[in-house]
Amino acid sequence: MTEPVIQLRDVWKTYQMDKVELVALKGINLDINRGAFVAIMGPSGSGKSTLLNMIGCLDVPTKGKVFLDNKDISLLSEDELSRLRGKTIGFIFQEFNLLSHLTAIENVMLPMIFQGSPLQEREGKAKELLISVGLEKRIFHFPTELSGGERQRVAVARAFANDPEIVIADEPTGNLDSLTGKKIMEILTNFHKKEGKTIVVVTHDPNIAGYSKEIINIKDGEIIHNHKQTAEILWQNY
Amino acid sequence: MAELLITKTKQKFTSFVSEIKEYFKIALRNLKMRSLRSWLTILGIVIGVFLIVSLLSLSEGIKTTITKQLKSLGGEMIFVMPGDISNPLSMFIGGTKLEKEDIEAIQKTSGVDKVVTLSYQSVVARYKEEGKTIFLGGFPLETGMEILKNYQGWSLAEGRWPAIGRKEVVVGQQVAKTIFAKKVQVGTDINLKGQKFKIVGILNSLGSKTDDSFIYMDMSLYQGLTGEKRGTAQQVLVRVEEGASTNNVAEKIKENLSRTRKRKAGTDTADFSVITSERMGDIAGNILAIIQLAIVAFASIAIIVGGIGITNTMFTSVRERTREIGIMKAIGAKNYTVLSIFLIEAGIIGFVGGIGGTLLGAILAKLVELYGQIHPLFYFSASVTPGLVFFGLFFSFFVGCISGFFPARKAAKMKPVEALRRYE
Repeated sequence: MTEPVIQLRDVWKTYQMDKVELVALKGINLDINRGAFVAIMGPSGSGKSTLLNMIGCLDVPTKGKVFLDNKDISLLSEDELSRLRGKTIGFIFQEFNLLSHLTAIENVMLPMIFQGSPLQEREGKAKELLISVGLEKRIFHFPTELSGGERQRVAVARAFANDPEIVIADEPTGNLDSLTGKKIMEILTNFHKKEGKTIVVVTHDPNIAGYSKEIINIKDGEIIHNHKQTAEILWQNY
Repeated sequence: MAELLITKTKQKFTSFVSEIKEYFKIALRNLKMRSLRSWLTILGIVIGVFLIVSLLSLSEGIKTTITKQLKSLGGEMIFVMPGDISNPLSMFIGGTKLEKEDIEAIQKTSGVDKVVTLSYQSVVARYKEEGKTIFLGGFPLETGMEILKNYQGWSLAEGRWPAIGRKEVVVGQQVAKTIFAKKVQVGTDINLKGQKFKIVGILNSLGSKTDDSFIYMDMSLYQGLTGEKRGTAQQVLVRVEEGASTNNVAEKIKENLSRTRKRKAGTDTADFSVITSERMGDIAGNILAIIQLAIVAFASIAIIVGGIGITNTMFTSVRERTREIGIMKAIGAKNYTVLSIFLIEAGIIGFVGGIGGTLLGAILAKLVELYGQIHPLFYFSASVTPGLVFFGLFFSFFVGCISGFFPARKAAKMKPVEALRRYE
């Protein structure tokens, strides 16, 4: 049960900005276990986006190691990593990041295309996902024809398209009003509860963090406190 | 084991094909999103391909026409005409004639089988109350007819050949059909320089509009009518004896001629030209080859400019879509996926440009051909060969891919985080 999907071992990340060296992460050690629901919290500039990039294998650390499914990602080629990432990790972004020239269903199918799954399988799965997020009437709409909440629901459906082991959400409700945001979080927790998906949410909204079982606080590039107990109480109330 | 490998390869191939199909769809959507810019870029390629296809098909058409005409002359003919052919000006000066001695010298040259003298000038012709200036040609019926029929491909569409000693003429196709308002009929009279002649035959087309615009008569009749000195001619056509080398005979004719000319005029300059039909073909072929080379060179410049247009558009597109590239990479797009999408876009631009250019080029070439048929100057044919069409399409697609390569590689090499962070 507690087998980790993603492990960070003494991860450092420094950005070279002209003559100044900016240390974004300072020796982070972190396990994201299978089936967990983790919230990463911290003020802006704390390094939480950088940490998210590490967990999502979008970036490589300056020092230290990241393991995805027990594979050291620094040993993978760019294409191998892309493939593994596409299969194992789903992303939800604050700005939705849908491709504007593709319809809702095409956006959801895109990650499956990259994994090379056949057309019928793709279509069935994408429809199923869009229905499960309540967009059965918006399947063939373009993102510009959708509201913010609907767009984010398409993005959620896309994140789950390849049946990933882990879904990473970066401020998923940041651009939405609280009611719509709540709906999105409900959809996410639903996926977590029904399918046992691992979910990592980056947020600075304590209400959103309240949905998670585990809270990681980050400040100045270091994990400062683990609010596991508090979170568990919150979860029970939910 | 082997079977498993085959099925696996098959599966891989089908999934590869369906992947490319999807990328194609995405690329097409992207182009549609920027439709004005896409069309403008396509226009750049259209112009280049249009130039290549139209000009090449026309020059190729001219080449075939000329080769066909030269072929109808037969391989063993030698032309002797006054003036130096390598000096184009002398051809227009005119006035110089081959004198009786010259023609005799040609006749005496060993290896010469038969000699046909030819003369022509423009005269006023009246046919059924309508006056026109027209070319009148004279050749010796008695000796020349056989050669013209057998080796120059002369034949009658209607009527018969003129009889020697009678005031009879044959007319070319253009004379018969288009020059006079009323269609020329066999058996009617035509008035040339105030004298009546009977039209006894209409020739089949001789292969060029100019030759078809002639009225032909016997040499003695011609010289009587025009006052040209008997025994002289403007051109001489030489038929070489069987087994003799055309080039050798041509050389010997040249020697003999320069001797007689020197004796007469006391000049050293070669004021006549001796050309074999083979050499004539070479000259025409060389000139056309140079023209075609120039066409290809200039049209290539147009295509290169079009290609740079594609590169420019694609770089802009990559810049604009940085974020999109980041998203695609984050959700599992491999480098070659991004590369393929951008390359396909550039390829489509090139290919569509190729289709447009080939189509427009072919249409223009055919229009010129049509114009040439309506306004007779030269039998023009445009040869839009399948090879040329294939070349137009394939080449433009190729240019598109090459032009799109660097922008596509730039897009493919982007790191997902950096691409996503941009414009945030």
